Amino acid sequence: MSSQGTDQPPISIRKLSKQYGKLTAVKSLDLDVNEGEVLGFLGLNGAGKSTTIRILLDLLRPTSGHAAIFGHDCQKQGLLARAITGYLPGELGVYSDLTGLAVLDLLAGLNGKVSRKYRSDLQERLELPDSVLRRKLREYSTGMKRKLGLIQAFQADPRLLILDEPTEGLDPLMQESFYELVAQVRQRGRTVFMSSHVLSEVERVCDRIALLRKGELVLLSTVEEVRRLAPRRVHVYFDQDVTTTPQLPVGHETVEIKPREWSLQIEGLLGPLMSMLSSLPVRDLEIEEPRLEDVLIRYYMGTGE
Amino acid sequence: MKRLLILARHSLGRIRLLLLVMGTLLAVFQVFLIVVAGSIQRSDAFEEIGALLPPFVRELLGPSVTSFMSFPGIVCVGYFHLSVMGALIALSIVLATMPASEIETGFMDLILSRPMARHLIITRTVLIVVISTAALLAMMLAGTWIGLNALAPTDARWPSPGLVLSLAANLALLMLCWSGIAMAIGSAARRRSVAGGLAGVIALAAFLLDYIARAWKPAESVAWLSPFRYFNPFQLLDGNPLSAKNVFVLGSIAVSGFVASYVIFSRRDISH
Repeated sequence: MSSQGTDQPPISIRKLSKQYGKLTAVKSLDLDVNEGEVLGFLGLNGAGKSTTIRILLDLLRPTSGHAAIFGHDCQKQGLLARAITGYLPGELGVYSDLTGLAVLDLLAGLNGKVSRKYRSDLQERLELPDSVLRRKLREYSTGMKRKLGLIQAFQADPRLLILDEPTEGLDPLMQESFYELVAQVRQRGRTVFMSSHVLSEVERVCDRIALLRKGELVLLSTVEEVRRLAPRRVHVYFDQDVTTTPQLPVGHETVEIKPREWSLQIEGLLGPLMSMLSSLPVRDLEIEEPRLEDVLIRYYMGTGE
Repeated sequence: MKRLLILARHSLGRIRLLLLVMGTLLAVFQVFLIVVAGSIQRSDAFEEIGALLPPFVRELLGPSVTSFMSFPGIVCVGYFHLSVMGALIALSIVLATMPASEIETGFMDLILSRPMARHLIITRTVLIVVISTAALLAMMLAGTWIGLNALAPTDARWPSPGLVLSLAANLALLMLCWSGIAMAIGSAARRRSVAGGLAGVIALAAFLLDYIARAWKPAESVAWLSPFRYFNPFQLLDGNPLSAKNVFVLGSIAVSGFVASYVIFSRRDISH
């Protein structure tokens, strides 16, 4: 156990299950998060994302299995685990009669040590100056509360950040600032474990994706790999009307057929399609970038492999 | 320890205005009682007013009616007046269910996602309850002292410091007892309204049980279940010391409630 916290993965989950009566929220989950990576934790509402996050923070107790943060068991050594973790909840539960500054100071005090300079940098980046922080939270907009939530999660510069829907309520400019912030902490070797519904964000920020469905991990892969799994949209334009029904190779599907344009969805290599098209009056071919959503939605719906 | 103090200071800061207002009202009530008692004393009307009491009240008070219908008796009413007891027990319940409120708002997520042990949440709540109880009773005592010094007639016999302190201690024990019960309920709850409501209903039922048992003999067999049975200010007014049995029972309920809170809160799931 001497190596705890040094060469252990930031998050290690083994056979983790959580049941509420007959309902299984998380089922035999195994997951490792590597140091320095940004892992997107995806799933529909009720898939078990928040339950898993709450078990990591020892807010919920697992029915079986265990989870560890940098080798510290989240239940038995929860204090050690949480000392190096920053958490942004999905909804910031703060009293509206407090000022933003009071919340940050209180949580910094509970954290132990917080660099004032780093907090100022965060405030500047997220455009939440002291003058705003001195106001009562009842005067804050949803976006301002989100920014406050981000600052409180990041302010102790923890080795692991667990973020639940981090950009919910942020305007596009602030989303950009957040992405830059994540990139910066990642560069410094910090690990980010974030749940999100915004797939474009996941595609942009995350190194890997873990997807939960009905409490089970159904996909764990790098963003690049997932993108490779995505079917490509191909538009074929003809010089003259083509009335024959396309006899498509295996893995190819028609999306829309017009006399002068076919829209196809293609899995795998383009070779067989090119062979098929060679006898047709093709004017142009347009291949769309594979979209992450196309794969993930299939997994969400339970039709993914 | 540092984290506990930070959280306790924060929690106290949030309730300071409530404590200040309530403590001031209690102190003012004490002063008011002294003015009333002084007025009766000047007109030498204690016996006449005592005679006006309905027979069932006289029967309920028993021999204590003489002690009650006197200058020190009226001065001390604040320490067992129904409205004071009700307000203080309600406040105790509100303070003791603080963890349920913090779970409900989601604030607990922010606290416990820090390196903060769960038992510190209960320790903080016990601290808040004890400090608030002490502060409120100190303000009541201050009101009594100021009122007596400033407004009591020169010929009036003051209640002894021992009597006033015993009454305050008795009331403090009653508050802590209901804090313990409410805290145990609140440690298992996700909503303060549910925990507070349940504790309030139990307190009301216990009060009625004790009250009915004092007037209706058949109810006496179960009256020992009510914590109010162990709150007997009239015994103190009659010159008896604070009963060790009463102190033990109320104290034990309080401590049992606090211990149960530690156990329940350390095992429960925190979800709102």
